[in-house]
Amino acid sequence: MKKLSFILIVLMLLSGFAFASGSGETAAATDPNTVKVGLLCIGDENDQGYTYNFIRGRDEATEMLKADGINVEWVTKFNIGEDATCTDANIEAAEEGCQIIINNSYGFEPFMLEVVDEYPEIEFISCTNCASAFDGRDNTHNAFANIYEGRYIAGVVAGMKLQQMIDEGQIAPEEAIIGYVGAYSFAEVISGFTSYFLGARSVCPSVTMKVSFVGSWSDATAESDAALALVDQGCVMISQHSDNTTPATAAQSRGVFHTGYNNDMTGIAPNASLISTRIDWGIYFYEAIKAYVNGEKIPQDWCKGMADGAVVMTQLNEAIAAPGTAEKVAEVEAAIADGSLQVFDTSTFTVGGETLTHAFALDTDGDFTADSEEAVYDGAFHESVFQSAPYFTVQIDGIEWLNAAY
Amino acid sequence: MNTAENRTPLIRLAKRTEMSRRNMWLIRVGSIIIALILGCIPMLLTGNNPFEAYGVIIQGSVSRPVYLKQTIRTAIPLLGCALAIAPCFKMKFWNIGAEGQITMGAVFATYFALFWSDKIPHGLLLIIMALSGAIAGGLWAVIPAFFKAKWNTNETLFTLMMNYIAIGIVAWLQGGPWEGRKGSQLIPMFSDSARLPTVFGVNCGWIIVLVLVVLMYIYMNKTKQGYEIAVIGDSVNTARYAGMNVGWIIVRTMFISGAISGVVGFIIVSGANFTLYSGVADGVGFTSITVAWLSQLNSFAMIAISMILAILEKGSNTLQTRMEVPASIADIITGILLFCMLSCEFFINYRLIFRHKEKKEVTA
Repeated sequence: MKKLSFILIVLMLLSGFAFASGSGETAAATDPNTVKVGLLCIGDENDQGYTYNFIRGRDEATEMLKADGINVEWVTKFNIGEDATCTDANIEAAEEGCQIIINNSYGFEPFMLEVVDEYPEIEFISCTNCASAFDGRDNTHNAFANIYEGRYIAGVVAGMKLQQMIDEGQIAPEEAIIGYVGAYSFAEVISGFTSYFLGARSVCPSVTMKVSFVGSWSDATAESDAALALVDQGCVMISQHSDNTTPATAAQSRGVFHTGYNNDMTGIAPNASLISTRIDWGIYFYEAIKAYVNGEKIPQDWCKGMADGAVVMTQLNEAIAAPGTAEKVAEVEAAIADGSLQVFDTSTFTVGGETLTHAFALDTDGDFTADSEEAVYDGAFHESVFQSAPYFTVQIDGIEWLNAAY
Repeated sequence: MNTAENRTPLIRLAKRTEMSRRNMWLIRVGSIIIALILGCIPMLLTGNNPFEAYGVIIQGSVSRPVYLKQTIRTAIPLLGCALAIAPCFKMKFWNIGAEGQITMGAVFATYFALFWSDKIPHGLLLIIMALSGAIAGGLWAVIPAFFKAKWNTNETLFTLMMNYIAIGIVAWLQGGPWEGRKGSQLIPMFSDSARLPTVFGVNCGWIIVLVLVVLMYIYMNKTKQGYEIAVIGDSVNTARYAGMNVGWIIVRTMFISGAISGVVGFIIVSGANFTLYSGVADGVGFTSITVAWLSQLNSFAMIAISMILAILEKGSNTLQTRMEVPASIADIITGILLFCMLSCEFFINYRLIFRHKEKKEVTA
């Protein structure tokens, strides 16, 4: 027993030394052309969707900045919850010397804002949310992109396919039904599927749409189930606003078509997926980090669209897309970029049979209902003008909500 | 003789009769060292230097005031909840429903934080939140206790299932009546008057749980009720023979246990998270079982054990940040450590007898 206790004590001392001699604390970057940036993600790259799209943006921005002589040292943290673990992750990133901290999910913002006053010299960015821009602090920012533009074009691609099916007699005009898998009945999603629908109807006048909300941003099984249920209800085209690729595979398994979000899904569903749209976060990361290094201010609320490359379309699946789609896409892209085409043109849709003449954009009194800034003017609803986060919540005619998930 | 020998298994277990305190602690320290050595394996597999990794865990949890505060903040609910389940476990009532009791306490505290914060002064509001949390947690715990006392239902399953109901209620509130911006799934943050004040930079929940440590020690060791709990834990029949109302004691003990868990829920929402969401208990109700067990239900030992677990949790977070190891590696290391620490209690209580050893004894 004595021998054993001796061995134990020696081992204990050894491990004690090992702790003490562990890695030294890493010092913050001192080189003015090196910047340390934290990226806090809700998922990880394996989602092949939402977070993967941010990682692509991160790597792209790193390359672009390197060309400008700026080195970025990234601290990327994955699988953070929309809860107090996000507060901790922000503190952690700040303490580890990050000069800019990017929160990639909507639900991170309130937890991020708990931390920002402790670190006034650090810039905090909340992607896709809307409180940071207007909270009166200099070091908190919002960013989003005009993804509704990309969705409109994805809708055009879908509509052309549907029109082709009608013209070839595969379906009757009233059978051109789109099924849309949405996450929540939330402005970002409503804005997205409405623009998609308007895009489709611009080239296929008889199209209608059914929307099913799954009540989660990322639930692969529920998304797949919702897509299958929509096909069962007669939908011949599936699109989605959720983080996984399962709606695409579900569409393929039932022999219907699909357009995606966040990532090119033609690889996993080559017979179904026509095109996807995604935000190119690299554009924003590049601008924000460059501004920081140059001693300029990062914009309080950043929002750009197709004209600046912040929203892009993935490769069109020419093998299954309707003929002439590529030309039409290029034409619409140009029209959106030069402003001659308004996605939410009020002459193209009705609400309860009436033309939309009034809708507020912003909520200023904190009751979560928009109460100021008229968004409808010059014959269109102007999305993402008053704040980067979408605020279109109108239910237009032609779109049937199968359920709601708040 | 020969056949009897063949029937003897290679390894047999025998209950240890006595063991010196010194040896008990040697085994415990030894188990931690073995765990640390085993923990090197996943780190080596992912191509990291284990010594560096352990260093980062220590640095990331205690080396800076901010990190130490976060570590203590993590330890508070663990300690509080371990205190809560200790009397149940002493009674051999397997309450694994602390998760749900925390959640229900948090729900009721949140109700007052959301709807009464502008009508009630700060101090009074916090007291009301704490009391309502305690009552809600207590009542939630009484439900399975009542069924156990009345119809002898299985409390392990019952308390476990109650957790999911509580979590489901919060998920509904989050997406329904208490939701802030429509579709956001977020309940608004508490206003300042519904937040616990900080003492030395950490929410004053640490004072509450330290007071509870002392109270629980006195309750378990110096009061008649504590004695009744111990008797029931040893033998229900003895308790009955002594004229104790076993059913009533079960219900009473579970109410106290649930009430403390409810207060922990209040501390979590009002002192750390400042809002309510379905993951509010975040596994504390389960991890604290480990804390209670490792401390042998001794309230003072729980302080140390909950700190060790908090250090591991916070430290492995920093490990992820600095060395970019996946979160699961940090979880594996924590799991190995807990496994070794818990299994060493087995070796303290039992000894292994190998076959050849017995043969020697027979021939001798």
